[in-house]
Amino acid sequence: MTATQHQAQAGTAAGETRTLTLIQAITEAMREELARDERVVIFGEDVGARGGVFLATAGLQAEFGKERVFDTPLSEASIVGAAVGMAVRGLRPIAEIQFADYMGPGFDQIISQAAKIRYRSGGQFTAPLVIRTPSGGGVKGGHHHSQSPESYFTHTPGLKVVMPSTPYDAKGLLKAAVRGEDPVIYFEPKRLYRAAKGEVPAGDYTVELGKGAVRREGQDLTIIGYGGVMPDAERAAAALAAEGVQAEVIDLRSLVPWDRELVLQSVAKTGRAVLVSEAPRTSNFMGEVAYVIQEELFDRLLAPVVQVAGFDIPYPYVQDKIYLPGPNRIAAACVQALNY
Amino acid sequence: MIQPFTSDPLRWVSEDGQPIRELPARFTPELLRELHRQMVRAREFDKKLVTLLRQGRTTFYAQASGMEATQVGLAHSLRVGHDWVWPYYRDHTLGLAMGISMLDIVSQCLGTNSDLCRGRQMPHHFGVLDKRFVSISSSIASQVPPAAGTAMAQKYLGTDEITVCTFGDGATSEGDWHAGLNMAGAAGAPCLFVCENNQWAISTHLREQTASETIHIKAKAYGMPGYYVDGNDIVAVMEVLGHVAERVRAGEGPALVECLTYRIGSHSNADADAEKHYRTREEVAEWEARDPITRVERLLEHLGAPLDPQELWDLVAATHREVDEAVLAAEASGQPGWDIMFEDVYADKPIHLRVQEDFLRAEQAAGGRA
Ligand SMILES: Cc1ncc(C[n+]2csc(CCOP(=O)(O)OP(=O)(O)O)c2C)c(N)n1
Ligand SMILES: [Mg+2]
Repeated sequence: MTATQHQAQAGTAAGETRTLTLIQAITEAMREELARDERVVIFGEDVGARGGVFLATAGLQAEFGKERVFDTPLSEASIVGAAVGMAVRGLRPIAEIQFADYMGPGFDQIISQAAKIRYRSGGQFTAPLVIRTPSGGGVKGGHHHSQSPESYFTHTPGLKVVMPSTPYDAKGLLKAAVRGEDPVIYFEPKRLYRAAKGEVPAGDYTVELGKGAVRREGQDLTIIGYGGVMPDAERAAAALAAEGVQAEVIDLRSLVPWDRELVLQSVAKTGRAVLVSEAPRTSNFMGEVAYVIQEELFDRLLAPVVQVAGFDIPYPYVQDKIYLPGPNRIAAACVQALNY
Repeated sequence: MIQPFTSDPLRWVSEDGQPIRELPARFTPELLRELHRQMVRAREFDKKLVTLLRQGRTTFYAQASGMEATQVGLAHSLRVGHDWVWPYYRDHTLGLAMGISMLDIVSQCLGTNSDLCRGRQMPHHFGVLDKRFVSISSSIASQVPPAAGTAMAQKYLGTDEITVCTFGDGATSEGDWHAGLNMAGAAGAPCLFVCENNQWAISTHLREQTASETIHIKAKAYGMPGYYVDGNDIVAVMEVLGHVAERVRAGEGPALVECLTYRIGSHSNADADAEKHYRTREEVAEWEARDPITRVERLLEHLGAPLDPQELWDLVAATHREVDEAVLAAEASGQPGWDIMFEDVYADKPIHLRVQEDFLRAEQAAGGRA
């Protein structure tokens, strides 16, 4: 879906849209999926009576009962592994990992089971499940509450990986993920949980996995990002506009699969690409985007592709704000691309 | 005799302060007063840090209130600076009782230049090499297999040290917990595993955490003895841990001790008002009535050596001053600069980090904000 269609769709539901925060949109998607399909179950650490440490599942246990929304023992391996087993047996589990930083103990179940069961069985067994987890920095949480581990998972064939940055996408992508046939890692940029607000249709809709969205149109360069950095990418674009530079801003929304067509069309038009993420630079998913851009558009590029990413260090505590790419660092990277 | 695998927690002093077994001779009024002093100091430290958090001077706090007998008792059962400790994030009371300075702990909470860990982690994740108190990892149960490894190294090196590994009740569900205990058991390594069972893992009660009746019985599966102790009775904690530590030190292999206690406060500041969400005020009140500090006060009364209330007030006031001074000293040392964030990633600084550091230096020189 393009940004224009996107708005059109939100527009058609006029009268039925409300302003929600990102986390409210996530809760709403889960509530609607629980109501729509009895096979949907939700579990994880403290998701029941507590409603999750960020309150993403607040009220769901009260509404749907302990059979469908429940706390698990403190074990990510059990949470992910059980989700795989349930999915194989026909349920549609939505498993929560309390922080993406704690996917570690569940890693083997994600990469050896969820990711590979379809392939290793020649398609006989499949694990359609969703793992929801808050990720990213900017909350003064130190490295165990701030990391962006998406590249471990984009590097693992068999997993789909998404990260919304708007309430509209959060709801639509989560519903699409629940209804899909593959395991989906659904990263939630935690610093936007309450900061990102937007119009969300009250009714049912999905946002297709693998489709990016144009957040702002422009001719001079393309800023491509996803997740927590998106508001700052848009701020950078607005600052550039004040200087007479028109940046196009693309939100990938989905990393595996990612919207090559949308990105290539845009960069073919602007000739300049700035890739923004907060994950550490080395083996960052954006390296793949850069590679495809140079491979497909070598002769159209007016400047080398510029990457803004996290530094190659464990996420620091004291220097939280300096670590994170903000609008100024993004704008400076754009200037670098423009002045090449 | 101190027996493993008892059905009830081992106890020496009843909730109303009466000895229910013969009080070992070492528990003189002098020792009990000293233990009491350390428990009160830790309790007041907790309160002061919560205040600091409310003032916005720190960002996170996980109280150990209610768990003082377990942690102070543990500190008195190991050879500080000789034995190695792989702790978890609720162990500041253990740290204080081991003689880690308030300045060291406060500095870590504030992430100032005086922090031995250089501001790298969120509050409550200190580590102090000269106390052999290994830096804390947030990731639950991730300290358990390394503790087994440290104990294996001690065995290999032929030392008379032991390794102590602490964790909560929730941690016992993680795969790493089982892997670590099994490894230590198979290796016959001198590792003392201590479960600080405060009955809650955030909002998940022990009854939901495991269908096992207790935690200590899991030791059986790993070929080691499991002991069950009233973790709010400091006499029991020290008797059992003291006995078990020397058994482990003597080369009899690892052991697990479950200290049954209670988390009086919320899980952390991110879990305000636990009583609204998942537990009842009655339950908390019930455990407040079993307070480990009050129990020692009652025991002292029973022994005819009651505390002078003035002494208690003086202790509280002195602790508050001590925290205030530590905070001032920590804050006076200043905040680490941006550049130290590229240090300690590796022993050296590889080229890609130097390039990134140069980038940030240029950004900073240009007065740039990220
Ligand atoms: C691997 C991992 N998963 C989840 C968390 C989030 N978390 C932090 S504390 C906690 C509960 C721990 O309970 P317990 O082990 O009983 O220790 P307590 O906090 O009660 O002292 C959870 C789930 C974490 N830190 N690490
Ligand atoms: Mg606990």
